Amino acid sequence: MTAMSALPRIDNYLPPAAPAAPKATQSTPLTHVGQGVTPLPLPLPACAAPSLWQRFWQGRGATVLMGVISIASVLLFWQLATQYKLDAYIRFNNIPTPAQVMEKVIEVNSSPKFITNIGISVRRILLGFLAATVLGVGLGVVIGRYRWARALAMPALEVFRPIPAIAWVPMSIMLWPDNEVSIVFITFLGAFFPILLNTVHGVEAIDPVLLRAARTLGAGEASLLRHVVLPGALPHIFTGLAVGMGVAWVSLIAAEMISGQFGIGYFTWEAYSLISYAEIALGMITIGVLGLLCSGAIRLLAKLVMPWQAHSTGAP
Amino acid sequence: MDMTVASQGRVDVRDLHIRFQSKGRDFEAVRAANVHVRPGEFVSLIGPSGCGKSTLLNAVAGFLKPSGGQVLLDGQRITGPGSDRGVVFQQYSLFPWMTVRANVEFGLRMKGASASDREAQARTLLGLAGLLAFENHYPDQLSGGMKQRVGIVRALATSPQVLLMDEPFGALDSQTRVVMQEILTNMWQRLRISVLFITHDIEEAVFLSDRIYVMTARPGRIKAELDVPLPRPRTAEMTSSPEFAAMVKQIKGLIREESIAAMGGELSDGGLVGLSTEVGPQGVGHLV
Repeated sequence: MTAMSALPRIDNYLPPAAPAAPKATQSTPLTHVGQGVTPLPLPLPACAAPSLWQRFWQGRGATVLMGVISIASVLLFWQLATQYKLDAYIRFNNIPTPAQVMEKVIEVNSSPKFITNIGISVRRILLGFLAATVLGVGLGVVIGRYRWARALAMPALEVFRPIPAIAWVPMSIMLWPDNEVSIVFITFLGAFFPILLNTVHGVEAIDPVLLRAARTLGAGEASLLRHVVLPGALPHIFTGLAVGMGVAWVSLIAAEMISGQFGIGYFTWEAYSLISYAEIALGMITIGVLGLLCSGAIRLLAKLVMPWQAHSTGAP
Repeated sequence: MDMTVASQGRVDVRDLHIRFQSKGRDFEAVRAANVHVRPGEFVSLIGPSGCGKSTLLNAVAGFLKPSGGQVLLDGQRITGPGSDRGVVFQQYSLFPWMTVRANVEFGLRMKGASASDREAQARTLLGLAGLLAFENHYPDQLSGGMKQRVGIVRALATSPQVLLMDEPFGALDSQTRVVMQEILTNMWQRLRISVLFITHDIEEAVFLSDRIYVMTARPGRIKAELDVPLPRPRTAEMTSSPEFAAMVKQIKGLIREESIAAMGGELSDGGLVGLSTEVGPQGVGHLV
């Protein structure tokens, strides 16, 4: 009340509006506690009610339908091309029809050989990929965090990086005591570099202010690595894992085809040698499905390990 | 929660010099600065942008080593960052992978506090800041004002001797800023912790502080030290009092000279040489 008499004079005194703004809010400060968080149920900006067609396109049904059309058209093309033995530069004369491949699926599943091959490939992937993850993330964190480690390790790593894992096949066979280990090694190599480099990048990309904040809260170097550096680099690490998994499969299949016994790559190559066309297609499809499952597993793992990522785009 | 007047939390910055080497060139960020924060006092450091006020705070936080002079906390020389000084950064700096409560608990976790102690302490402080309902949210789900309240609460959780705030509301819109200033002054009123507050907003400094240091343009020196005569606790109404206006005007005048100096201009009796003479007291707000 006492301020009221003084108000007009001060308002004349300070024309810029900045100090006047708080007066509007001063009486009920508590209403601002949740400011910007609880959205009011505001109506959408004026627009006509969506038509049936628009609603269909926004719905989940449309996505599923398009997916079905997409895959069905591939199958249809395959069926027609093989049925009519399409021969226009690319030749479908010897390509099996979808039905023949389907028959093969039933046939190979009646014997354990096919499943064993899949199991062996999956085991190789898991071993190689796991080793690449442990070493790539571990080394990546050290290289990304410490300048001396980077200066020491990167020149040597840069020498090996451009060599594709497949080029290692002959050397790998000489290096390792048995064939199985050398194939796992090739798989490891394929996954290692993407994981390593993405981890290094992820560690370097951490906002330095977060490291400072952790320091002022009493974190030592070990806590910093565990609670700030590693989780801060996780989004990039998972990018590395996804890329690494893809390259690991490429490397594995090539290694199995060249040097292997057993495995789905070997199965596919053997089918070619035995002129079993349906099995070639089956091997390819199996490899595709396995790769899809593996990258799906990584995406799922990423969601579980980084629950905060689900919100990072939904900020008000 | 009882009002407990802090017995510790004295910051002494004595004859501080800070020099940087950057691209082969040596430049001086802070020169012969003397800044003191008494236990339980709220002190602001204000000056034109780039004057070295954040540099000074970084020296108190322990991120920088002084090139000369001393930085003391309760008589002890500061050698590095530590949880006896809580820091609130302008860019929130919350850990995005931790929930609000995990962020607040982080410092206590580093101290080895038990899970139940951590939870109790974190929830008390979150309650004080009106954030208890958001304890399980992730920072990205919060507005800027809420993030910064979490940042303050996190810095307070380890019961530091002093709170160092580096333009904490600089990234907020002006409406949120005003609300945050009220929340901060209310929290301070309850906790009575020593605060060293960096800002370039004059009204903010006057509203919050017991004492204000005005810094010069680079190299940063202390140009003036002013006591704020407003009574405690502070309320929003005080910002329309004549004392408040007079104080703001006085500091504006001091900073104006520095801002002009920082822009490379010269001040003469007739106004700013090289700029329009119409730049009066009202125009300063734009310069600052």
